[in-house]
Amino acid sequence: MDGSGSEALLVALGAIPGAWVRLLLVNHLQPMLPRKHWGTFVVNVTACFFLGLVFAQVERCGPITGLALLIGVGFLGSFSTFSTFVMEVLNELKASKYLPALVLMFASLLTGLVAAAVGYGLGSHV
Amino acid sequence: MSDHRFALKFEFQELLLVAIGAVPGALLRWQVALHFVDQNILANTLGAGLLGLLAGLPVAPRWQLLFGIGFCGSLTTFSSWTLDSVRLLCVGDIKSAAGLIGLTLGLGLGAAALGLQLGRKIRRLALPRSGL
Repeated sequence: MDGSGSEALLVALGAIPGAWVRLLLVNHLQPMLPRKHWGTFVVNVTACFFLGLVFAQVERCGPITGLALLIGVGFLGSFSTFSTFVMEVLNELKASKYLPALVLMFASLLTGLVAAAVGYGLGSHV
Repeated sequence: MSDHRFALKFEFQELLLVAIGAVPGALLRWQVALHFVDQNILANTLGAGLLGLLAGLPVAPRWQLLFGIGFCGSLTTFSSWTLDSVRLLCVGDIKSAAGLIGLTLGLGLGAAALGLQLGRKIRRLALPRSGL
């Protein structure tokens, strides 16, 4: 294993609340949204924005490796999820709901890209 | 009162299972990213395949919490994928950005579909008389 034990500890310490907040937020949003997968969408887009922000800080202030590991790799990496997103797209495809599948896929991707860019821009210039 | 305490205990157990899955998931993602310059494609494909497999198997909710929401959810990441793509777009490398986006999506969907097929096959073999 590369990286020190304390680095691994930071990743793990970030990962636990990241997964918890994802679970609680998706469950909390579920009754308010037409489909459960929009909860995953909200989680992922939020994570993109904050990761952009964190990355801009790391670039600007030099390697704040501790913060990057705890919040970037640990918390936000664990908070956002690719596997659930892919399964939700696949479930729509399998149910022959091609348009909703494409809408979910492109909406997640485009909004995620914009959110990451906005976070990154905000972190770099403000 | 006792009902309330039961609910809290149940929730604590849920959170514990998610945490037990999330730690190895995040550590594996971090290590994979350190060893392979693949921008999380490997971890994301692996996690998508595993979540597909879980969806195909008759898995109890508590294992779904541990392996699905905890391990796979934490192993895979959406935010690093989009940030890496944004960084490629920022330097004008549109070809690489499109490649990263397309490859991650294609491999993820393929792995999830394959995992689901495999999981269903295992379920049929394990439970031949269930009619599933």
